Amino acid sequence: MNSAYIASILNSTLRSTTPILLAALGSAVCSRVGVFNIALEAQMLIASFASIAVNYFTGSILLSVSAGILSGALVGLIVAVLQVKYKAADMVVGTSLNLLIQGGTTFLLYLIFGLRGSLVDNRLVSLAKINLPVIRDIPFLGRVLENLTIVDYLSYIIALLLFIWLFKTVSGFRILSVGINKAAAESLGTKAVRIQMGMVVLSGALCGLGGTVLSMGQVIMFTENMTSGRGFIAMAAASLGMSHPLMTILSSLFFGLCQGIGLALQNIIKSQLTMTLPYIATIVALVLFSRQLKPSAKLKKQGKA
Amino acid sequence: MKQSHNAGAREFGLRLWRALRQPLIAVLFGLLVGALVILACGQNPAAVYLEMFDKSFFKPYYLFSTLTRATPIIICSMATSMAWRAGYINIGVEGQMVTGTLVATVVALYVPGPPVLIGLLAWIAGMAAGALYALLPAVLTWKFQVSMVITTLMLNYVANNIASYFVTYPLKDTSGDGLSFHTPEIHEVMRLPRLSSSSTFNAGFLLAVAVMLLMVFITRKTVFGYESKMGGFNPSFARYGGTKQVKVMMITMALSGAIASLAGSAEVFGLKYRYSDGMLSSTSYAWTGLMAALIADLDPIGMFFVSIFLSGLQIGGSAIQRSLGIPLEIATIIQCCITLFVSVKLVFKIRKKKASKEEVKEGGVKA
Repeated sequence: MNSAYIASILNSTLRSTTPILLAALGSAVCSRVGVFNIALEAQMLIASFASIAVNYFTGSILLSVSAGILSGALVGLIVAVLQVKYKAADMVVGTSLNLLIQGGTTFLLYLIFGLRGSLVDNRLVSLAKINLPVIRDIPFLGRVLENLTIVDYLSYIIALLLFIWLFKTVSGFRILSVGINKAAAESLGTKAVRIQMGMVVLSGALCGLGGTVLSMGQVIMFTENMTSGRGFIAMAAASLGMSHPLMTILSSLFFGLCQGIGLALQNIIKSQLTMTLPYIATIVALVLFSRQLKPSAKLKKQGKA
Repeated sequence: MKQSHNAGAREFGLRLWRALRQPLIAVLFGLLVGALVILACGQNPAAVYLEMFDKSFFKPYYLFSTLTRATPIIICSMATSMAWRAGYINIGVEGQMVTGTLVATVVALYVPGPPVLIGLLAWIAGMAAGALYALLPAVLTWKFQVSMVITTLMLNYVANNIASYFVTYPLKDTSGDGLSFHTPEIHEVMRLPRLSSSSTFNAGFLLAVAVMLLMVFITRKTVFGYESKMGGFNPSFARYGGTKQVKVMMITMALSGAIASLAGSAEVFGLKYRYSDGMLSSTSYAWTGLMAALIADLDPIGMFFVSIFLSGLQIGGSAIQRSLGIPLEIATIIQCCITLFVSVKLVFKIRKKKASKEEVKEGGVKA
């Protein structure tokens, strides 16, 4: 276990954290306005596909990232309309959308590209890799931050901005008031339904960016169902971070670390076993930190769950 | 005598209609969306649907394939509804099925003894394993208030990966070419009998029917069925009525997991005779079962028919993929659109409006 090995684990930790963090922030803004959104997986997966598809035909990074964010937001809009406006059952909408996008992307992959399984092509361009000038030459840190994309850095800035917006501005307080007491907020003239719908669409956009990093970051490809439960891991991360943007950074880093360690152990232990690590870690983390979560608010939600 | 028989038949018909009314309308909506997708692919929806249903329901050979594929789907939908109707969102039926089936297969292959007895033991061991795997999230919810949605889903990935490990390494059948990852075949005596000489249709389907009847019995005739439903319907009322919530939750989840294991065991003992890597996850039996449960609003009889219908969509979907080049995921798309329509309770709303109008009429007459 030398320092270069540790540095490479930390490097893959940071890379694995980004999609989870972005989706977890999406989950957090939904819970903050009292919407239980479990279609995160769908919002991510559609973006992974849309960004790679646009990437394939245009070769433009800007257009592919926009396509990812927009497609995620679009799925968010469907969730918003069905769940917030028409008060459809959250579990049914979320599960249906997750499966619909899983089938839909596979369908489109075959229809557009004639492919099954995955799309890899050397025409695809990846997100720009950044190697910071001075830091690059520092032995340990340089390796840890090696070849990160701009979105990897951006995700932390987004978390910080969300924190400032929600907790330090008037409009942020208005948004939080909807989650605390919808009726009271409405009586003060806050358009609660509109805010809730807006937040769900925002969560779609955030997940969309997360899904884009997944398919255009460290690997440049689309694979059927490539999110493989990350949306749910993100839900766990948001829940451990108590839907607070800055705390969510920490919990997301934890899950990123589990994936990083899992990847590193693949040389020693059979990959099928190391792949279970992030999922087991999610359950263990939820159990360990369960006592710190507000029991009353949690129980209400989990009376169902 | 004849009259009472007629009345019974009418009552059954009425019950069937009530169970199927909501799914039927949602299915029409789903097929409509599917038709739009087919149009977008540049094909004629009517022709595609005709081909799809021809190669899933109308020709006997395909009908048998549909019923064979429906077997695990029906059982999974029953397992799902067992938990959901009590308010426990178990989306881990897949993991419970995989765990139970792997254990059942291992017992069938490696426990020494007379094959008939070992075969029986294998089913029971599988049920026990499935039940235990479902009890794990239940205990975590009870002790730590951890969200069952997340834990049950996470456990799917854990079960799938571990099963994949076992089939790839320790349990792998080394007698063949060594390229496919599966266990050796189970003893001939343990295999479920075939019900048709020309296809793989087997006695597993009868098991699915039995599970459905069991669900009807549990939900309509037993105290436990009432208690668990009350827990899901209104937890505080159930507590007030003296229902022991924790005990009900444990039994509910254990039953859900045990039933889930039957779905996979039926597949191994009735169809494949071995456990092969990904056989239960890549076919998404559990998720189709979940869809069926949602579409039929957790009614056992409704779920039975919806499962057969969804299975037919998938069989027909793979047929049109071969002949017309439309990806078989069209089936998934139609399926999910149906559940989305059900979720908005479009059907329910129409019904309610009618009902309230009738009430007003009746009130008017009385006044």
